[in-house]
Amino acid sequence: MANKKYWVIIFLTIAINVMMVQWTVESYLGREYEQVVLFSGIAIVSACIAFIALVYWKRVEYEAEQHE
Amino acid sequence: MNTECKKGRNVKKSKSDMVNLIGNVDQKDDLKYNRRAFLKTAAGASVALGLSTVPFSVKAMMGMAEEEEERVEITKLANLPKGESLTFNYPTENDAAILVHSVNGELVAYNSACTHLMCPVFYEKDSDTLLCPCHKGYFDINNGHPISGPPQRELPLIELEVTNGTIFATGRKYRHG
Repeated sequence: MANKKYWVIIFLTIAINVMMVQWTVESYLGREYEQVVLFSGIAIVSACIAFIALVYWKRVEYEAEQHE
Repeated sequence: MNTECKKGRNVKKSKSDMVNLIGNVDQKDDLKYNRRAFLKTAAGASVALGLSTVPFSVKAMMGMAEEEEERVEITKLANLPKGESLTFNYPTENDAAILVHSVNGELVAYNSACTHLMCPVFYEKDSDTLLCPCHKGYFDINNGHPISGPPQRELPLIELEVTNGTIFATGRKYRHG
């Protein structure tokens, strides 16, 4: 599968985001606001990476279909 | 047009072995639940998880702008003998707290809402622990950390200061010990 790397990226971002949600909530309950902003920032960047990976994957996936 | 076989062979749950060989193939499901749909859903889940942290960071930024806690008088040290406790409110009237003069002579104060389901905790002189009677949650008097029962997080610690025999609350820490 030529676009396997996009699968890996998307699933990595899921793993990261699950951790970030957990850490964000924990930090929020502990009133550690600087850490909340940090973890939330990482989660947003990770979400953006997932979205970009999806866009690139779609391009590759459906391009291959058109050539068939 | 009815495409089903009169003999009932070309249908789902057919008795025919040849039909059952492909009984797990369903075109509708194939179009709906396929590899592409799976990856799109996974990407959507990742984005949703990432965005779900945004409200917390917004609230955190609002919290950072809040003022520092003030210094509040609780009571006179003489009014609180060893092994006794006193309830008060800190930092606001809605935050119940407990001040304990432990058997060992130490002064400690915590917000008294149990970190499990917010029931008030009480000082147990005999065992020198804090007890939440709702679900039998016990907290260590020295650091406010849970020692048994359902609570998982420590009680918020209220920083104390004793000046001229008067006990003051000067701040609050959520993560400590």
